[in-house]
Amino acid sequence: MKPSSLKTDERTLALLKNIQVFMLPVLLVFSLILFATLSPVFLTAANLTNVAVNSVDLALVAAGLTLILLMGGIDVSTGFAVGLTAWFVGTLSGLNLNPYLILVAAIVIGATIGLFNGSLTVFFGIPSIVATIGTAAIYQTLLFLLWNSRDVFAEPVTPFLSGSGRWLGVPTLIWLVLLIYLALHVVLTKTSFGRSIFAIGSNPEAANLIGLKIRRTRFIVYATLGGLIGLAAVTYLGRVGVVQAYSGNEITFLAIASVVVGGTSILGGEGSILRTLGGVAFIMILNNGSVLAGVPSIWNGVVIGSIILLAVSLKGAVVILERKRSGI
Amino acid sequence: MNEILTSRKLSKSYGPTHALRDVSISITQGEKIAILGANGAGKSTLMKVFSGAVQPDNGTMELNGSSYAPKTPNEAIVKGVSTIYQEPFFFPHLSVLENLLMGQAMQARKGLLSLKELTKQASELISQVSLEPKILKKNMSSLSLAEQQLILIARSVDQNVKLLILDEPTTILTDTEASRLFAIVDNLAISGTSICYITHRFDELDRVADRFIVMRDGEISGELQEPDKARILKMMGTETSMTSSRAMPPAMAQESKLDSNGSEMLTVSNLTAQGKFNDVSFTVGSGQIVGFYGLIGSGRTEVAKAIFGELPLQSGSINFKGKPFVPRSARRSMEAGLAYLTEDRKTQGIFKFLSIRENITISIIARLQSFGIIKKPAEIEASNQAVSRHAIKTQDVNNLITSLSGGNQQKVLLARLLISNAELFILDEPTRGIDVKTKSEIHDAIIEVARNGNAVLLITSELPELVRLSDVVHVLRKGEIIASYSNSAINEKDILSSATALSA
Repeated sequence: MKPSSLKTDERTLALLKNIQVFMLPVLLVFSLILFATLSPVFLTAANLTNVAVNSVDLALVAAGLTLILLMGGIDVSTGFAVGLTAWFVGTLSGLNLNPYLILVAAIVIGATIGLFNGSLTVFFGIPSIVATIGTAAIYQTLLFLLWNSRDVFAEPVTPFLSGSGRWLGVPTLIWLVLLIYLALHVVLTKTSFGRSIFAIGSNPEAANLIGLKIRRTRFIVYATLGGLIGLAAVTYLGRVGVVQAYSGNEITFLAIASVVVGGTSILGGEGSILRTLGGVAFIMILNNGSVLAGVPSIWNGVVIGSIILLAVSLKGAVVILERKRSGI
Repeated sequence: MNEILTSRKLSKSYGPTHALRDVSISITQGEKIAILGANGAGKSTLMKVFSGAVQPDNGTMELNGSSYAPKTPNEAIVKGVSTIYQEPFFFPHLSVLENLLMGQAMQARKGLLSLKELTKQASELISQVSLEPKILKKNMSSLSLAEQQLILIARSVDQNVKLLILDEPTTILTDTEASRLFAIVDNLAISGTSICYITHRFDELDRVADRFIVMRDGEISGELQEPDKARILKMMGTETSMTSSRAMPPAMAQESKLDSNGSEMLTVSNLTAQGKFNDVSFTVGSGQIVGFYGLIGSGRTEVAKAIFGELPLQSGSINFKGKPFVPRSARRSMEAGLAYLTEDRKTQGIFKFLSIRENITISIIARLQSFGIIKKPAEIEASNQAVSRHAIKTQDVNNLITSLSGGNQQKVLLARLLISNAELFILDEPTRGIDVKTKSEIHDAIIEVARNGNAVLLITSELPELVRLSDVVHVLRKGEIIASYSNSAINEKDILSSATALSA
């Protein structure tokens, strides 16, 4: 007989939950200290501003993706959706249109893409992972066809959507990201719409029986992600300056990584959008810091992948222990 | 008689609560015991210790004379202790044969076997639970709940099963199905297997055990050779008597009054859903509790779901509050003033990641907001009122709903419906798997709902509950209402014979 085995379980559970909560802040502080010691350039205002500005498109996509994950879904087509939208933005930019018109067009195109993904899951009941694997392939092919071996070059649409815009000395892009995260945080924690998202992610069947507007909520969330993808396409193009056959594809993985490293449950119903911002920060700091420190950035994938596995395993272990505690 | 399982001074704590305190029990070979107690009395924990799902903090056990300390359920099964849990756990998309292959009895056979050989062995296995071999090819999900449960028993009944634990095996079964189960378990006991029941159903005590052990606050508070209900209740420490003393149906007084002005809330005419139920007509008046009784497969839940908009109808009409009502979806039904309490609390009821407060107010969240923003003070007030009105036992409504016991979770779900503007409440097995005291509290709440002028459609498998609460009872069989009783004509015997008589 192991008299203390359940006390050990309790302690392990408490420990795991603490790790879940503190992993991200600890990782952030640790990476900041590490890279600050390894590179004198890292901890300068210029470099950190640079990191922040470069992470805007990822941050925008990750924000929308957080809502999807909270609702119990996933989207693995975001990267190609950004690339495809960016192609349209780049092409429209060449026509000397009003920049705000282009911005609106980008958001509309993004939202349309989002609604397409949403329709597949809402109307046809296709699991979001399957639906978006399918649409990812479609968007990728569409982009490839449209690109047709001709790279599209473009200037930033407007200064305020490029790294050069400043307000109170801080890049306008950063204000934009903060504004969007704050707004979505308020939506998630203070509104009935946000409550519905958590409820649907927690138990879709119960949500249906209690009369929540599940379809409408899902649609709006997918459209929101789509709109953010459109916005991200504009900032992506402003940052990179060119659209090619595989533009944007790296965002898919990094966006999921940011949300999961931020602690939002891959199973839905639990999480926080502000922590996603932390996840984005960690991933971007890792990328930038390793370059500056002269560490081969090829290892970043291993680090990020390991942290995702750790986060998901922690979640799994907590689920198992809680089930054990509350009985089978 | 030789002892199969002996426990000595088992103790187990979860944080500050003592789930078990110095529990010593011994079970002899072929004996049938029943463990009784209110929710939280520790009986489930004790069974989990026996079955290896939980390890005790202190104390020892012996199985067949040698030391027994299973670390996993599998280890317990290998040593001869099998458990059938309340909610059947199986692989719904696989055949019965494949489901049986997952069991210990079949797993133990090493090496490759031909399908023919496997089928033969599986047939022998299920003949022990009186099932026909032809069932082996069927999909597990196409079986009735009762059959599923029997398959699970067959799956766990190895040649060397010494102790079979049944955790409220009959809560989801109708009475005839339950009797069949008891007969099969009796046979197992006669052939030397010891049986340990956990049950909440007082009406079946005579059938299930030779010895009754009552638990309270983690300790054994008494032991009886006879199912003396009054003494058991006393040992359980419940204040409310549930001895089914044929209390006058609650809403009866109002009903006669209502009959005169004929205020019918819901009128259902000739409702038909292909293959589910046929030509069902009934009415529910305001202030009235209408009971639905029927065996599994009788279509009672299906009728309820169809009225609530969760199951398509072929024909028939529904009149609600004097106007034609076409059920389209759960959401529209909620908006129209219907509310549905699911029979499946865990998978269709609770939001496990939301707090108690959020679980209560989710039904009225649209009312609690202005311009989309939730009005916090109003929300807190609404949930606090519900918590005190239904005596939901919690330290903090901000805790997750999963921190509550099953009975209190059910109270939350009921409270959630009651604060909505609904006037017709469809309650599907509102007290399944809940201890006697909480059950009685939920009964009181249902009576009050009707007394306030609402209509209640009550679906239940528990006859005492049906008889105690209903003003009118409709008995369903194979999708049709075959008998109806009202007021003083409602009694268990007639209802049961209507439900089963034609099945011969």
